[in-house]
Amino acid sequence: MIEIKNLRAGYGRPDAFIPAVDDISLTIGDNEIIGIAGESGSGKSTLLRTIYGDFTGGLKLRDGSVTGHFKDPETGRPLVCESSTFQKLWWDVISYVPQGSMSVLNPIMKIEKQVTDGLPAREKRGSRQELRSRLASFLAGFGLPETVLDSYPHQLSGGMRQRVLVAIAAFVNPQLILADEPTTALDVVVQKRILLMLVEIQRRLKNTLVLVSHDLGVHYQITDRIAIAYKGKIVEVGPTDEVFSNPQHDYTKALIAALPRIGQPRQETARGAVGVIV
Amino acid sequence: MRLLSQIATRLISYFLVIAFGLTTIFFVPRFAPNDPVEAMLAKVSSTGSFMDAAQSDALRASLTDAFGLQGSLLEQYGRFVKRVLLTGDFGPSLAMYPTPVSELIGRALPWTFGLLLSSTLIAWVLGNFVGLLAGWRPNKASSRIMEAVAITIYPIPYYILALVLSILFSYIWTVFPLTTSVHGAPWSWAFVKSVVWNSILPAASIVIVVFGWWVISVKAQTTALAEEEFIRYARLKGLSDRRIITRYILPNAILPQITFLALQIGLMFNGSIVTEILFEYPGLGHLIYTAVIQGDYNLLMGTISLSIVAVATATMIIDLIYPLLDPRIRAR
Repeated sequence: MIEIKNLRAGYGRPDAFIPAVDDISLTIGDNEIIGIAGESGSGKSTLLRTIYGDFTGGLKLRDGSVTGHFKDPETGRPLVCESSTFQKLWWDVISYVPQGSMSVLNPIMKIEKQVTDGLPAREKRGSRQELRSRLASFLAGFGLPETVLDSYPHQLSGGMRQRVLVAIAAFVNPQLILADEPTTALDVVVQKRILLMLVEIQRRLKNTLVLVSHDLGVHYQITDRIAIAYKGKIVEVGPTDEVFSNPQHDYTKALIAALPRIGQPRQETARGAVGVIV
Repeated sequence: MRLLSQIATRLISYFLVIAFGLTTIFFVPRFAPNDPVEAMLAKVSSTGSFMDAAQSDALRASLTDAFGLQGSLLEQYGRFVKRVLLTGDFGPSLAMYPTPVSELIGRALPWTFGLLLSSTLIAWVLGNFVGLLAGWRPNKASSRIMEAVAITIYPIPYYILALVLSILFSYIWTVFPLTTSVHGAPWSWAFVKSVVWNSILPAASIVIVVFGWWVISVKAQTTALAEEEFIRYARLKGLSDRRIITRYILPNAILPQITFLALQIGLMFNGSIVTEILFEYPGLGHLIYTAVIQGDYNLLMGTISLSIVAVATATMIIDLIYPLLDPRIRAR
C-alpha cells in the first residue's frame, strides 16, 4: 500500500534543517492495522503527515520517498503516486482521523453538513434523502442516533464528537485511513468503543489503517503490526504480539517496562528508563 | 416559556434604557446657560423693531408659554412625558418657530439615511471582503498592501478626510460641489442625479475611514480563525480554499461584524455631525448642530430621542436575532 524509503523530513530552512523524521524505511501492507508508537517528539506525527501528504506549516521532505500503491476508485486500475500528490486523493482514497479536541469541528455547522462536505462525487450520487438515510444507518453502527446529524458540535459529548470524526473518515470507504491519536483524552470506556469501531471498519473494508498513538495499550489491543519510533527513527518493527513478548531494541524494552501492570508493586516513576539508552 | 421570559426581560430593559435616556435629555439642556426665550427676544430686537420694557415682558411671557417653558422643571417634565408618550410630539421648534420638530426631523431623516446607510453598507461589504482575503493569505504581497493601506487610513479622523477631500475635489479640482445644493423637481431624474452627485464627497469621507476599520477587524478575525483546528481539518478533508473561506471562515468571522454593523446603523440617527456641517448637508447632524447652537430644547430633544430609540432598538434586535445566527447561544 505505502512504501517509505530512506525518508528524511522535517522543519526549517535548508541551512538550519531539523529532521523530525530521520532516514525511515517502512512498508505498510494492504489489509492491515499498523501502529506507530513512541514518545512525544519521536517524529511519529510528522511521519503520519508525510504519509498523508500534508506539507504545510513548514514541513518539508528532504530525502527519500513515500510511494502509494492504490486502486483508482472509479476504474479499479492500479494507481501509483508520490505523497506530494496525495492531496488530490484526500477524502476519496485516503482519509484522516484527527485527535479529537473541542475545536476540530466547525462550531456553527450542523454535523450532517460536515459529514457530506468533502465527500467525493461518487458518494453524493442519488437524492439528499437517500444520502441522509445512508448516513443515519452508518452512524447507528457507531451507536449514534440520527438526531446527531441535526446537532451542532457543542451539543455532543467528547466521545460522540470523536465517533463522528471516525465516521466522517470512514464514510468515504477509503483505501487508507490515517488516525493521529484518535483516542487521546477520552476515558477508557469510550476509547475501547472507538478502537473496536476502527477495527470493525478495517475488517469490513479490508483496507489499511495506520494508527499513531503514544499509548502502548491502544496498540496492544488492536494493531496487527507495530513500529516503534524514537528520535526520528523507527527502531523496531514487527507483529504486535512478538514485539510485546520479545522486544529487541532497548528503547522498546524500556517502553514496555514502563507500562503499569495490575499486581505490580508500587514503584518510582520510570524516569531515567529512556535516558539509559541515550 | 424560557424563551418568552428571556424576550420579556430584554423588552423591559429596552424600555428602561429609553426612559432613562429621555429623562436625561430633558434635564441636560435646561441646565445649559443659553435661554431660548432670550435668544428669540434678541432676534426680534435685532430686526430693529423697538420695544419698551412692558412690551418685551409681554412678549417674554407669551414666548415662555408658547415654548412650553412655564412652571417648575418638574411640571414641565410631567407635561413632556405625557406629550411624548401619548403623541410622540416634541412640540414646535423654538429656533424655527412654529415648524413642528417632527416635521424638521422628517425632512432631514431621508438625507441622513440615504447618505449613511449607503456609505455604511458599502464600507461594510468592501471592508469585510478585503479583510477576509487579506487575513486568509496574510503573507501575500496584495494582502500586505491592503493592510498597510487600511492601517494608514483608519486613524484619520473622518472630518479631516472630509476637509482634504473637499479641498482637493471642490476647490483645486472642481469636480464636486463645495456645499450641497439640490435642484430639479422632487424625484425627477435631475433631482436624483444632483442628490447623488452632492453626496459623493461626504459619503467617500465616511466610506474610506470606516472601510479601513472593517478591514483591520475582520482581518484579525480571519487570521485567528485560519489557525483554528477546524480549518486545518477542513483543509485536510481536501476542501477547496474557496469553500473553506465561504463555508468555514466567513460565517465564523462575520458574527461579531454583524453586531458592529447593527450598532453603526443605530448610531446613524445621530447623523454625521461634522461631515454634514462641512458639506452643508441638510441631514440630522446639521439639525442637531442648529439645535445646540440656538438652544432649541424641543428640537434637541426630538433629534436625540430619535437617536436613543434607534440605538436601543438596534441593540435589542441584534440580541433577539443573534441566537438565529449563532447556534451556540440558542436557548437550549
